[in-house]
Amino acid sequence: MIEFHLDGRSGVPAYLQLVQQVRQAVRLGILRPGDQLPTVKEVVTRLTINPNTVLHAYRQLDLEGLVEGRRGVGTFVSAHPVPPPPGDLKGLRSSLDRWVGRARAAGLDDEGIAALVAEAVRPAAVSRVA
Amino acid sequence: MTWVGWRLQRTESLVVLGTLGLLAAFLVPTGIQMANAYHRDGLAACLSFNPGPTCAGAVGGFRQRFQSLIDLSNWFTLVPGLIGVLLAAPFIGELEHGTYRLAWTQSITRGRWLAGKLGVAVATATVAAGALILLFAWWRAPSVHLDGRLDTGNYDTTGIVVVGYTLFALGLALALGAVWRRVAPSLVVAFVGYFATRLFVDLSLRDHLIAPLTTTYRGTSQPGFLYNAHIISMYAALGDHEIMSGGGFVLGGQRKLAAPRLGHAVFHVVYQPESHYWPLQLAETGLFAGLAAILVLFAAWWTRERAA
Amino acid sequence: MSAGVAAVRTSGLGKRYGSRWALRDCALEIPAGSVTALVGPNGAGKTTLLHMVIGLVEPTNGDVEVFGRSPRRDAREVLPRLGFVAQDHPLHRNLTIAEMLRYGRKLNPSWNQQLAASRIERLGLSQKQKIGRLSGGQQAQVALTLALAKQPQLLVLDEPVASLDPLARREFLNAVMEVVVDDGLTVVLSSHIVAELERVCDHLVTLAEGATQLSGPIPEIVARHRLLTGPRGDVASVARVHDVIRESHTERQTTLLVRANGHVYDSCWEQHEVDLEEIVLAYLGYRPGNGASTIPAREAVRA
Repeated sequence: MIEFHLDGRSGVPAYLQLVQQVRQAVRLGILRPGDQLPTVKEVVTRLTINPNTVLHAYRQLDLEGLVEGRRGVGTFVSAHPVPPPPGDLKGLRSSLDRWVGRARAAGLDDEGIAALVAEAVRPAAVSRVA
Repeated sequence: MTWVGWRLQRTESLVVLGTLGLLAAFLVPTGIQMANAYHRDGLAACLSFNPGPTCAGAVGGFRQRFQSLIDLSNWFTLVPGLIGVLLAAPFIGELEHGTYRLAWTQSITRGRWLAGKLGVAVATATVAAGALILLFAWWRAPSVHLDGRLDTGNYDTTGIVVVGYTLFALGLALALGAVWRRVAPSLVVAFVGYFATRLFVDLSLRDHLIAPLTTTYRGTSQPGFLYNAHIISMYAALGDHEIMSGGGFVLGGQRKLAAPRLGHAVFHVVYQPESHYWPLQLAETGLFAGLAAILVLFAAWWTRERAA
Repeated sequence: MSAGVAAVRTSGLGKRYGSRWALRDCALEIPAGSVTALVGPNGAGKTTLLHMVIGLVEPTNGDVEVFGRSPRRDAREVLPRLGFVAQDHPLHRNLTIAEMLRYGRKLNPSWNQQLAASRIERLGLSQKQKIGRLSGGQQAQVALTLALAKQPQLLVLDEPVASLDPLARREFLNAVMEVVVDDGLTVVLSSHIVAELERVCDHLVTLAEGATQLSGPIPEIVARHRLLTGPRGDVASVARVHDVIRESHTERQTTLLVRANGHVYDSCWEQHEVDLEEIVLAYLGYRPGNGASTIPAREAVRA
């Protein structure tokens, strides 16, 4: 069973934090296919958040195919959740290591690297900076 | 609302009960003593206009033993004022502490809440006044016999006016508290107001609430209708000379208006006869109770319309 | 999200005390099932607005409707459906908890004694305890129990957590959230602290100097506001399309907080997301120092 937590100061919306934690849990095998996610009430009681936040998160995960909601029963991890295939992960990781090496050689410190990455990751709707 | 009203007045009700108990504890032993002395000394026989020879001594002895106590107990006419203002405390407290907002957002209407709270206070005040009247009437019985019902101390403490006094004090405190919304100052100012009003009515209005009578008579034979009367003013003249004047006392028991050696003196007297006792009581009770009603209704109206 | 049924609707609502308008021309709609934060500085008119919603105060102008009825004229129908906890949660200090519940039972036809008793038990309190002996947080919870045990459909809380320590605050809001999940309760709570409300609320109304400026679902509010930074310059082109809520300039840089009407295409501006607290502060008329200039708070806008 997964236990959620919220970072009020991360700037990431609450529902998105829940989504990310579920994705991570599936990736790491903490949540397996068929496992039940905490009920909305359980999450609300644990975190003192608005029920709609939890519903939004579960809906998002449902859209991604990671979970499925069963009416009257609960929300369960899909039988075949769709994480990225491991092969890709390895390749991505090694090219990332190479890139970080180049960034450090160029004189970027940790903060500079993080800033570049954050900008590159910013949701498409907002960054329309030419 | 009934239970709520009584439960929220519990402390004040107990204080009132305690006050009555304290009074009783003081008055019952002394009252028994007085009653016994009165009967043992056969003072009942001394009450006509023509008492026997032993009466002066007997009455004198009684007065020596008890008169100072009786005079002191005249101050008990303030007790209705204390009880009245105290019973306004629960209502004012709700306004001061904001708990009326709690009451008005339950499911009853404001009118119902006001009726319940004020009704409980008025009922308690009335019953307490009744108890006071019974207690004092019993205790002062000898004094009433000796000095008449119109004697101020007797009149103030043993008559139904006590109900009027208590309700008036309650109404005054409620009206002040409704506007001011502070318990302690409202009670204090209300009690001072009670005291001032009582003083005013006692000294200026009481004699004239019912039209007094006037009479003129000659000589030492005092007319019977002056027995136990409250003399507002009197004036005795012999020819053109004024020989006596005065006023503000009761011709109770043995007291007489007389100029023994001057048989042809003429007395002019303005007075309230004993038979005016009930009309006077009812008039004064009506005055105070009427004021009380206006004040209580004002408190209810002000709270209902103005409070948030 | 909501079925379109308004739990609370006001139009042109105003209240005047003497010559001062505590609230003016307030028009808002609170959807059923939402948890709405009413935010504004002290003296902004929050309490006045809430008191008119629950029928404690007669409006000077305008109307207020709760579930379609007037809370003052139709008090007998509306009051049982309303739960209210006033500021500083007044209770009768000399009563025991049991007697306080009895008070509720006597004055409310729709009282659920079992619900009340079980909440008290879950709080770890004994019904024999005197209200005056409880801590601030416990008293707030008892006041909440009193409001919830009459099984209302709308819960109104006036600065419910202002005087509570952080743990008590969390526990209080948790209790409210539970009832929202279980019963679909509509909640309106006022506060002058934005930060902790974001977790718990899904709608927001801002109030400053008696006027509402912002009113709507929180995710939409956050999505529609942007912080634009760029070289010091003319804001007219942006202001033509979008609503500039706050602008400030330094020697070399201009910063704008805008409510976007569509996408911001202008490429000379760098865009940032803004968190809710910044948005609210901007609407409430916060003025940054050091030579920055601002425009006054705007009229009520729907996000």
